[in-house]
Order: sequence, then C-alpha cells, then structure tokens
Amino acid sequence: MGFIMDGLDAEAYDRTYKDSDLVRRILGYFRPQGRTMLLVSAMVLFASLLDAALPILISRGIDIYSGSRSVTSILVIVGIVLLAGVLSWIFNFVRQSNTARAVGDVVLKLRTDAINATLARDMSFYDEYASGKVVSRVTSDTEDFANVVTLTLNLVSQVMMVGIVTAALFYISAPLALIAVAIAPVCFFVALAFRRIARVTTQRARRALASVNALVQETMSGISVAKSFRQERAIYGEFKTVNQRSYVVNLRQGLTFSAIFPLLGTIAGLGTVLIIYFGGAQVASHHVSAGSWYLFVQAIELFTFPLTGIASFWSQFQQGLGSAERVFALVDATPRVQQTGNEDVQTVQGEIVFDRVSFAYTPNEPVLTDFSLRIPAGQTVALVGHTGAGKSTLGKLVARFYEFQAGRILIDGRDIRSLNLTQYRRHLGVVPQLPFLFNGTIYDNIKYVRPDATEAEIVDAARRVGGGDWLEALPNGLQTEVGELGRGLSLGQRQLVALTRLMLQRPGILILDEATASVDPLTEAQIQEGLDEALANRSALVIAHRLSTIKRADRILVLDHGHIVEDGSHEELLARGGRYAQLYNTYFRHQSADYVPGSGFVAVAEGASRDLTEGVAS
Amino acid sequence: MANREFTVANEVHYDRRGPIRWIISHVLRYKLYLFIFFVGTVTTQALTAFTPTLIGSAFTVIVRPHPDLAALGVIALEALAVVAVIFITGPAGVFGSEVIAQRLERDAREELYLSLLAKSQTYHNRQRVGDIMARATNDVRQLNPMINPGVSLILDSTSSLVIPIIFIGFIDWRLLLAPLIFTVFYIFAVRDYTRRLTPVTASMRQQFGQMNAGLEETITGIEVVKSTGQEAQERRKFADAATLYRDYFVKNGEIQARYLPLLLVSFAIVGGFLQALWLYGHGQLTLGHLIAFMGLMALLRYPSFISIFTFSLVQLGVAGANRILSVMREETELDENLAGYSADIRGEITFENVSFAYEEGGPWALRDVSLHVAPGQTVAIVGQTGSGKTTLTKLVNRTYDATEGRVLVDGVEVHGWTLDSLRSQIGAIEQDIFLFSRSIADNIAFGLGEQVTRERIIEAAKQAQAHDFIQGFEHGYDTVVGERGVTLSGGQRQRLAIARALLVNPRILVLDDATSAIDSATEDAIQQALRAVMKDRTTLLITPRLSQIRWADQVVMLKQGQVAAVGTHNELLESSELYRRIFSHYESARNETVTAVAD
Repeated sequence: MGFIMDGLDAEAYDRTYKDSDLVRRILGYFRPQGRTMLLVSAMVLFASLLDAALPILISRGIDIYSGSRSVTSILVIVGIVLLAGVLSWIFNFVRQSNTARAVGDVVLKLRTDAINATLARDMSFYDEYASGKVVSRVTSDTEDFANVVTLTLNLVSQVMMVGIVTAALFYISAPLALIAVAIAPVCFFVALAFRRIARVTTQRARRALASVNALVQETMSGISVAKSFRQERAIYGEFKTVNQRSYVVNLRQGLTFSAIFPLLGTIAGLGTVLIIYFGGAQVASHHVSAGSWYLFVQAIELFTFPLTGIASFWSQFQQGLGSAERVFALVDATPRVQQTGNEDVQTVQGEIVFDRVSFAYTPNEPVLTDFSLRIPAGQTVALVGHTGAGKSTLGKLVARFYEFQAGRILIDGRDIRSLNLTQYRRHLGVVPQLPFLFNGTIYDNIKYVRPDATEAEIVDAARRVGGGDWLEALPNGLQTEVGELGRGLSLGQRQLVALTRLMLQRPGILILDEATASVDPLTEAQIQEGLDEALANRSALVIAHRLSTIKRADRILVLDHGHIVEDGSHEELLARGGRYAQLYNTYFRHQSADYVPGSGFVAVAEGASRDLTEGVAS
Repeated sequence: MANREFTVANEVHYDRRGPIRWIISHVLRYKLYLFIFFVGTVTTQALTAFTPTLIGSAFTVIVRPHPDLAALGVIALEALAVVAVIFITGPAGVFGSEVIAQRLERDAREELYLSLLAKSQTYHNRQRVGDIMARATNDVRQLNPMINPGVSLILDSTSSLVIPIIFIGFIDWRLLLAPLIFTVFYIFAVRDYTRRLTPVTASMRQQFGQMNAGLEETITGIEVVKSTGQEAQERRKFADAATLYRDYFVKNGEIQARYLPLLLVSFAIVGGFLQALWLYGHGQLTLGHLIAFMGLMALLRYPSFISIFTFSLVQLGVAGANRILSVMREETELDENLAGYSADIRGEITFENVSFAYEEGGPWALRDVSLHVAPGQTVAIVGQTGSGKTTLTKLVNRTYDATEGRVLVDGVEVHGWTLDSLRSQIGAIEQDIFLFSRSIADNIAFGLGEQVTRERIIEAAKQAQAHDFIQGFEHGYDTVVGERGVTLSGGQRQRLAIARALLVNPRILVLDDATSAIDSATEDAIQQALRAVMKDRTTLLITPRLSQIRWADQVVMLKQGQVAAVGTHNELLESSELYRRIFSHYESARNETVTAVAD
C-alpha cells in the first residue's frame, strides 16, 4: 500500500502494512458485527440473483406467451415478476439498513480507538504534527474507510448480477452473447481513460478556482488599504482576468465530466443496434427465441451502469485502504514518554532537580548535555538566553511532555519517571505564550482545570488577578463567551484567564512562557499584578521576555547552548557586565518606560563583545 | 444601489428582487445556450423513448413466420440513426447547461465582487472577511452544480418521465392507467422521502462538523488538556459526539433504504404488463406494441432513481443565491457630500460631548467624550480592550458618524467636509498591517499608483527605517511580499506601512500600533520611523509602548467609553490612580517623574 501514500499527507509515524494485514484487521473490526454481516451478505446474494432473474423471467414470459398463450402460466410468470420486484426491494432495504448499522458501529469503534491512541501520545507528537491532519485522520479517514465497505458491497452485488446474466446469455446463444459482452471492455476502458483525463482537468480547475478565491480573499482583507488609496479600478481589472481564466479552465473540466455519460450511452446504443439486427436474424433463423432476443436487448442496458462503477472501484478501494492504513498507523504509533512506575502524587512542594540530564529533539542535535540544576521549593527562576539556548526545553521536561535520554529529573526528591502522570500534572501550572481557551464562557474555561470547583472558588480566583477589575471590561463578566479558540477576547484578556486558572488550580510548580506580543498598558498592568500573585512563594520556571518579570524573579539563569553560563539576581548580573548585560542590551533595554531610541545601554566587559553581534544576528 | 463608491462602464444589471428572479435574470443573458440545452435534452430523451418503439417493431418483424430481414435491417438502420442523433443532441444539451452553469458562476462572482468594491469602508469594517469569503466562494460555487447537474437532471428526468408516458398514450390511451397512477404515487413518495431525509442529512452533516470542530479544539488545546490531566473529560466529549453522529448515520441509512419509488415502479410495471396482456389477449394490442410498452415502462426506473438528490442541489443553490443577494442588497449609509467644505487640513481636532452606539438603542461605545487636540500634537489614547479607543479614532474620518455631540476638524464639523477632502488628508496605520502580494516598491507606492519614481519610494523607505532591511533581500525593492519564503516580521511590515503613509503625506494620522519588537535594535528602528511619521502631524496614537505614552503631548484615558482622565504624563501620574497603576511595575519612570514633579 505504500505507493499510495506518495505525496499524500505522509507523516513520520506512518508505516506500511501489507494489504492482507490491512484487510484482516478491517475484518477484525467487523467480527463483533458477524451476524449482521452474514445477513447483509445473504441479502446481497439474493438481491443480485433477483436482479438477474427479472429480465430472464420476462423473456421467458414472452416466449411462453407467444408460444402457448396459456393464461395460467403467464399469470404465474407475472406473479413471480411481482414477487421478485417486491422481494428485491425488501432485500435491498434489509441490506442497506443493516449495513448502515454495522458500518456506523464499526466507524464509532475505530474513532474511539483513534482518539484514545491520540490522547495517549505525548507532546512531542503534537508539536510535530499539524492538528488539522491529526483530526482528519480521526474523523475523515475513518469515514472514507466506511465508504470502502459500502462500495465493496455494491460492487459484489453488481458483479454477481452481471456474472449471472452473462452466464445466461452464453447459455442461450454464444455468438450473440459475444456481441453483448464485447461492449463491456469498451465501456470499461472508456471509463478508465475518462478517470485519467478527469483527474488532470480537475486539478487544473481546482488550481484556477483557488487563485480566484485567493485574490478575492486578499482584496477583502486589504479593502481598507485599497479604498483609502482609491485603487478599486486596478484591483477590479486584475480580478476580471483571473475570473475569466478560471471560467475557461472550469468549463473545460465541466465539459469533460459531462461528456462521459452521453459517450457511454452511445456505445450502449451501438450495442443495441447490433443486437437488434443480428439477434433478429438469429430469431428469424430460429436459433434463438424471441424472448431471448428481448433479454439480449435489455442486457445491454443492464451492463453499462455497473461497468462504469467497476472501472472506478479499484482506485476508490485503494484510497479507502490508504485511509485505513493512516488510521491504523495513528493507533499503533508508540508514545515516546515511558513511565517506569505509577506512584500516587498527593501534593507537590516544588523542589526540582535536574541530575546530569541529556536531551535532544533529534538524535544528532543535543540540546542539553549532562545538565544539572537544583531549584528549591518556592523559588521563581527566570530563564534568559537567545533562541535555541534550551529555555523552553527545561519547562517541557519538567512537564514530562518529552522523554529525555540520560540522567534523572527529581520532583520533591522523587524520580519523575515513577509518578502517575495525570495526578502529577494536576499539580503543574503550564501557561504557554498564547493561552488556549475552549469555546464557551470564561467561567467554563476557568473551571476546566478543576471540574469540581464551586462558583465561589471561581469568582474568588478571578478576584485575585489584578483585583478582579479586568472582568468589568467584559460585556458579561465571567459569563462572557470567549468565541472560537478564544478569539472573542484580546490576547491580554486570554492571559488574564490563564492566570485565573492558576489561582484556582494552585499548582505546586509553575511553568510560564511569557508572551512576547504586547497588550494594552492597562491590561498589562493587570497581568503584572496577576503574576505577582501567581509567582509568590511558588516554584516557577519562567521563560521571561519582560524586564519587569525578570526583575521580580528570585534567581536568573542565563542559558547558552544548553549550559548555564550565569546564575544570580538582576542587579548582581547587570553589575557583572557579562552575558546577562549583553542580553539586556539586546532584548530588554527598550522596555524601560523612559526609553528613547538608541539609548539605555549598560556597560559590558571587554571580553564578552563577541556574543553581542551573535545575539543581534539571531 | 443608491450610494456607491465605485462604478464601471458597461455594467450588466440583474433583477435583485428575489433569488429565483435573480438567477433567471442571469441565465436569460444566454438565450442561445438555454435553447441548445433545452432542445438538446428534450430531443435526447424523446429519441431514447423512441428506441423501445423500434424494438417493438423489430419484434413484430421477427416473430412473423417468415421474417423479412430487409425490414429488420431498415429498423436497425433507424435505430442507428437514433443513436447517431443522440450522439449529437446528448452532448449538445449537456454543453448548453454546462456553459450556462459556468457563466452563471463567473458572472455572479463578478457581480458580487463589484458590489463589494463599491461598498463603503463602514460596511467592510462591520463584516468579517471570513463571512464575505463564504459568500464569494461556497455560495457562488454552489450556483454551478445547481444548474448542472441540478436543473439539468431535473429537466432530464422530467422529460424521461413525461415523454415515455406520451409515447404510451400514442400506443393505446388505455395503457396510460398504470404510468399515471404511478406518477401520482411517485410524486407523493418522493416528497415524503425528501421531507424525512433532509432534516436527518442536515443534522448528520452538522454533527460531523461539530465532532470535527470539537476534536480540532481538543488537539489545538492539548497542552491545557494534558497539563491539567483532563484527558478523560475530552475522551468522553468526543465519544458522545461520535455516538450521536453514528445515530444520525444509521437513521440516514434507514431512510435511504426505505426509498419507495423503486418499489412503486415494480408495481407499475407488473400492473401495466397485466393490462397490456389483457388487451393483447383480446386482440386489441399487437405483440410489437406490447414489447414497446414494456420498454417504455422500464424507462420510468430512471427518473425514480435519479430524483433523490437533484432537488436538494437546487435548494442549496437558491439558498446560496439568497445569501449572495443579501450581501449585494445591503445599502451603505455613505453620502459623499460633494457640495461640502474642502480645504487643506491644519490638523485641529475637537470632540464636543460625543456619544456613539453601534446600533440604535444599543449600548454606548462612547459616552459624552470631549477633547481638544491642537495641530501637530500627539495624543496617546489609553484604555482596555473594549474601552472605545478604536471607535474614537474612527469618528474623525467619518468611518462612523457620532450618534450625539459634534466632531470637528479645523473647526468644521466632519460631515460638513466633502468626504474626499476629509479622508484623503487623514491617514491610518492599522493594527493588522495589510500588504498586497506584490513587490515591496509597489506596496510602498500603492497610494499614488503609477506616478511615483523609484527615488521617492526609496526616500520614504529611508525615512521609515525600512531601506536597510529591504536592501537585505535578494531582490531588494522588487521582492514580492509573501512569496518564496519571504515573510516579513511585524516590525518590518509596520515600517513598510509607515513608508506608504509618508508618501501620501496625510495631515492627520491615526496610528494603531500593536507591533512589538523582541530585540532592542529593531525597537530603535521602529521608534525612529514612528517619530518620522508623527513629526509635524496631528497624531491619534493607540500604543502599548509605555515610552510612547510617556512622551506624548497629551494622554487620554478611556474607561468603558468614557474619558477617565486627560492630561500630560506628569499631570496624570499625580491625578489618576488608574494611570499610576500602569507605571507601577516600572520603577524608574515613577522615580524620575517624582523628581520632575518636585521640580
């Protein structure tokens, strides 16, 4: 199956399964539905027998009637025809409704397996793979997989019907059957060729349409610029050209698509003409009966539609198997973070020890080598350094989002690998740069971290951030809807919600990645006040971007390529004139309220100037 | 379309009174293709229905004791002729409908686009780009399948129902009994089917969307989920959504399985067969006619099969058309005020007891705001999200009109000015800087079109501190924004916007500055650029930069739409508790100003 993945959304955790393994595994999902599937298979068999029998019965009826004119025998035939029609409908009904139930259940099971596997992954997985693609594996790929089942059932019933009718035709008259069957490969190859052309034109048409849409999107996003500079005419001209081009390409694609059915109809029509004449000649020479001749005429019609279906089946089937493969790869991938124990975690005081830890995201690029650090319980540590120095890595390891390769990490003296992770993490406060909010109210979002919290506790937590007056700026206070992904709130407000979560959660350890984007000064003041509260007497790793936060920390660690190069307080380090002073000049000098462009440099000792240019370049 | 900001020559006008009239007025532009579509489709169906008659005649010929092969040959040739004609008319009908469908899509998109360009900025400020894009992409696109296959198949299946019945009538009017009874039941069955299926299909789709969105949210917020140990909650949420979807899926399958017309057609065929046999047995029908009749009855399977999804396609198209129309019909409340006051702006801005609400009777966004800004001053507007900062600035260039009170520029009320004169002298640098996917030079020159020399562009870029980083790109000023990996940082975008504004040289500038620089060197450049653009101009400044606020000529503090405090930095530090709070985490500023006040 591997080749199908070429150029599709292949991910590193994808693996290639043998087709036989895939099919076996898919069948495994259907095993609990055994009885239903047996019933469905029987229905498929009966229905296609009937579908084949109907035209044959009619042709026999014609023969019998034109021969004997016996009323009873014809009534029997008519009765059988009616019965066949009714039964065929009932069989189809039973088949379709049961298929829907079985497929629905199987897809549900598959989705549940997929989501369970997904939630069991560690953060390295989510950092590596785009959320949209993971989601589409759980929802869309499972859906495609279901289509394969329905598709296969349809195909089986059609193939059987065509097979039975063909057998009957050959039984009646081999030469005529050859004529009738001769159109089959023609239809088949026309349908195949059509698919190839259709794929190319469809791709072109999509691209043309995408460029029109992109242009409209750009204009509408920049409409204020276009309007304030009065450039509508130029923009309209561009649009007309692109729109016309898309029309031409899409028309070509539409015509290709529309041409297929008339073309197949013509082929079938030619077949009918041949049968009328040559079949008629056979009837005239008493080689076949008139009823059989009629059967042949009908058979042509009967064949065309299933044949086009069969032509397109294989590629759709492969696509479905590809989907199944993607889902199974997601289910089977093993998490990298491995726990050695599952010890209860009742409380976390907050002592953090890195003991000769080595870590790399990719094998050849170590981020930490032999890294040791002790943070006593209750200490706020600000981490500073250039991008890639390893600041956020420390936080991720303490949160146990990533697996490290050597050494130990101890929390309150206990090996982090021996802890029950879910319990441990409930004592952990993690605030990312862009705090994430779920669709719902602010209240719901705060409560999320502790579903058992009472309303009073939540209100109290909100009051403890910036005195609670940030709620006044919201239209409905705590009941304000945050909108999709929290977009209804400003960035600053989202940070305030994240801080309130901390107040409710009261974590033993705080890992804070400070936002670099700026918020309005009043909200900023509220955030600062919230941080005062959140950081007080709490172990914290802060990836600091704000001068005010750094000054507030008990201890500053200057990191460089995974090593601690300086360790001390703001004043101490600034006075030393070393790496920290350089970083100050590069990143923090402008954050003073008295800042004037080009000013505010602190003195740096001679030997360290090499690092300054390096810093600016990064 | 009373008020418009933009028109083109030779514009086609369509009937916008209703979605169906609108679609018809579009389609009627292409009468020739309509004719080809109609004639092609109907002829094809008529000829298809003629084939059973030919087969019947052939049957009559061959069951004779001594069949005439020549006569059979003639019939075969007739059948061949039918196939040949269908070979032309079939594709012709499809061609007609395809051309109409594609042109409808193209024209509708153009009409919508033009209408959007002609709408005022006020309108666009109110719209989310996402909503407009949904109209311009999905809804416009939906018009295409509405015609082909939608309308095309409806004509197809209607004629493949009606024409065989007419042919049956020609064979023997008594034979109409079965097909007509069938038609009546068929119509009721299809209506019933659609009525039951539509809501379930809609719920199923909606549930799929919800399941998807819910999962997307879980995965995007996985860090919160994991770091708070709430996996179980998320698992339950998804399982509930997926189970609900499964229920709709099963229900949908059951309704589809119960599709009645296919059963009805079996009854009709058998009933018709019996009647035809009876007539034949009484010598009132030839065997050939019997065969032809049965062939025609078999044709009824096609419409009963196809009608399942055509109607919903048309429904979707009309619903889309309705949404497109509602966008195009929206009036803009703009009046250009061509007879108004027009002069060079000096830059004095006055607010007199201004109140503003976005909707009549809605909550006040601004309440009783009074303010005076002298020409050339820089005013920092400070307040939380939702306090009315941006709204305040938008009253100056009449993006909105004040609900109560007066806004004056150079002592003249803003709606006394001609819109052209007012707006062309008020520039804005917005929070989200928009650059077009063109070269950097074209972006800087955007406001003046073609008439700008490269020298002036470079001059503006230098003033905006953008020249150096532009030179750093491989293609310099010809670098295309947003292409081949050239992405610009927020600070670079802002400096390009400043250069763009400098070229146009507005007298009043509204600067909504949300850009943050991570390193101080970039901050130096940005601030120097900002100084250049604010120099000698009245500037309304919304900024997170404390140093900008600190050095502004005047600070206005807004709280929930009202002015909480006005004054210089030092005045406010003394008088305003709220203002002091902003600077409370910045000791140096506080200390220094304490000494400054002591002076």
